[in-house]
Amino acid sequence: MFEARNLTKRYGRLTALTDVSFSVRSGEVLGLIGPNGSGKTTLFECLGGALPLDGGAVVRDGRPLTDRERAATIFYLPDAIAPWPAQSVRWAIDYTLGLFNGRADLRDEVIRRLDIQPFLDQAIGSLSKGQRKRALLAIGLLMPHPVLMADEPFDGLDLRQSRDVAQTLRSFASAGRTMFLSIHQIKDASRVCDRFVLLSGGRARGEGTIRELAALAASQPGAPAADDDLEEVFLALT
Amino acid sequence: MPSRRSAFLWLVRKEWRELVVSRSWWVLLLAIGPLVGVTFISAVRTYAEASGFGGTSAGVGEAFSPLIGIWAPTFSACEVAAVFLLPFVAIRQIAGDRQSGALKIELQHPMPAIARIGAKALVLLAAWGIASLAPAAAVVLWKSNGGSIYAPELATVALGHLLNAGLTIALAAATAAVTEHPSTAAILTLSVTVGTWILNFIAAVQGGIWERAAGYTPPAMVAGFQHGLIRLDVVLVTLVFVAAGFTLAAVWLRLGVGVRRRAYESVALGAVTAAIVSACSLATGSWDTSESRINSFSEADEEALERIQSPLSVEVHLAPEDPRRADLDHKAIAKLRRVLPKVQVRYVSATSIGLFEQTSPHYGEIWYEIAGRREMTRATTAESALQTIYQLSGVAPPVENDDAMFRGHPLAVPPKGAAAVFYGIWPALVVAGAVFMHRRQT
Repeated sequence: MFEARNLTKRYGRLTALTDVSFSVRSGEVLGLIGPNGSGKTTLFECLGGALPLDGGAVVRDGRPLTDRERAATIFYLPDAIAPWPAQSVRWAIDYTLGLFNGRADLRDEVIRRLDIQPFLDQAIGSLSKGQRKRALLAIGLLMPHPVLMADEPFDGLDLRQSRDVAQTLRSFASAGRTMFLSIHQIKDASRVCDRFVLLSGGRARGEGTIRELAALAASQPGAPAADDDLEEVFLALT
Repeated sequence: MPSRRSAFLWLVRKEWRELVVSRSWWVLLLAIGPLVGVTFISAVRTYAEASGFGGTSAGVGEAFSPLIGIWAPTFSACEVAAVFLLPFVAIRQIAGDRQSGALKIELQHPMPAIARIGAKALVLLAAWGIASLAPAAAVVLWKSNGGSIYAPELATVALGHLLNAGLTIALAAATAAVTEHPSTAAILTLSVTVGTWILNFIAAVQGGIWERAAGYTPPAMVAGFQHGLIRLDVVLVTLVFVAAGFTLAAVWLRLGVGVRRRAYESVALGAVTAAIVSACSLATGSWDTSESRINSFSEADEEALERIQSPLSVEVHLAPEDPRRADLDHKAIAKLRRVLPKVQVRYVSATSIGLFEQTSPHYGEIWYEIAGRREMTRATTAESALQTIYQLSGVAPPVENDDAMFRGHPLAVPPKGAAAVFYGIWPALVVAGAVFMHRRQT
């Protein structure tokens, strides 16, 4: 789908991302995992066009994407936002569908799968964290962009909701949509993602399936053997 | 992706919905009715008293024009609303998206930032249009009470306040986009407004270049329009400032562009704006739309003055704060500039108030010079200036024509129904509108 090459982001003297490189494949669910403060949100904000990069590029077919091409490829769903707080969920979905010329044909299905119907006419500002997260995920899933990049899609969801959302994301990926998810709960990540990018200290420490990451962890000098458990791999590589 | 037009219309619709749920806008609407009511009722009462109502001698108000007697004070309520209320509506409209995170979603549409700002500006101007229904109600009341309306001068006053609102919205948009928080934007906006007041104060004391610069501040701009005078340079400079404000807002709304690049673009925008403003300030056209020709000499005098081809030089020995200087400027110099092709005015004074210059033998002298001939007078009236100029130029003064003189429109009636409209019906309608729109949207 695209490659991130040597992405670098600095806030004054602090370097938040250092030469981060990885690839995103078409139709996969790619998880971005890393400890708090590792640069996950910064990476997403840069890829989503909400923050300027200081170095590196997003590349497709060996050619850097222009801002317009990147914007047409990736839809970024930020975490911890409450957009248009006085407007209803129904209006927000219809507005974003209209603005971005989204997938209106999927509207009812997404509403049903994410169980949004009960609060469809409530103001976004009055929703609970989990309700708001599902409403925003609905917006993301209805966008026409081939890649949905969601920051902490399971944050605020209970166990059942997390499982339902994971199934919905997976089914959209099966239908050809690429998902790139930033997840700090390792269990959530292992349940939904095909591959992982492991970020720590603003650097990409590894990329691949659990098995590939476990092999990478095992190859580290002096590292204890890590089995196919993502938590163990995570701890070994960070 | 959707066509740019349809996306723009979606954005306009969204901005409208965001406006009608904004408390600041409803507060503006709620306040402007009584504000206009107070000024209108007070103006009509004064006008009526001067016209012979309530025991005063009839005919005092014969030279009264509704422009000065009614519209200037009534519309001054709009100036108060534009300075103290409108900025908060605009800041909320611009900064709200950033605060809520909506901007991060909307920015992913490849629409130019200036189009985003354009949608907000359109809706904010529409909001101002709705708020202007309050002075419009005053116009209807005045007419229904038998008052005279001269459409060109009324339209000029409304245009002045529309430009002032545009300027306020553009300034608030720029500060809201540049700063991180709405409260910072509000402080910055009010600081700029206070800055223009300081500039006016310095201009009154220092004169010269300060006086020229102060002529383009919102209070001075509105004052000109309230006197029925449309100056091309003022209109152009105001429009340039409005465009610059919106462009600056568009520059800073692009969150994905580096701060340094946005700063460079802002500096370049400032330089371009300064150059265009300098060029626009050279425009000399002006139109006096007042029925009483308050900004002009009589038609006969203007015809006579147009026959003078030589440049006129005026040397004024009066300090900037001397009231005689303001008198001369308004009654003679400003009118001369509008008729004669070339008028050069030189002010000579050692101090700003002139109090200690009174003993100087030359203080108070006004020298007029045409084609090498000079004449001095100390009078600051229009008649004295005209007489001196006719003498120097050799042009025969016109015969006075009493028929062409503005007689005014005295009206000795109280402001019937105004209190009910502005203190009762207007607030009730605003509250009902706010409740209805809130229920409809959520």
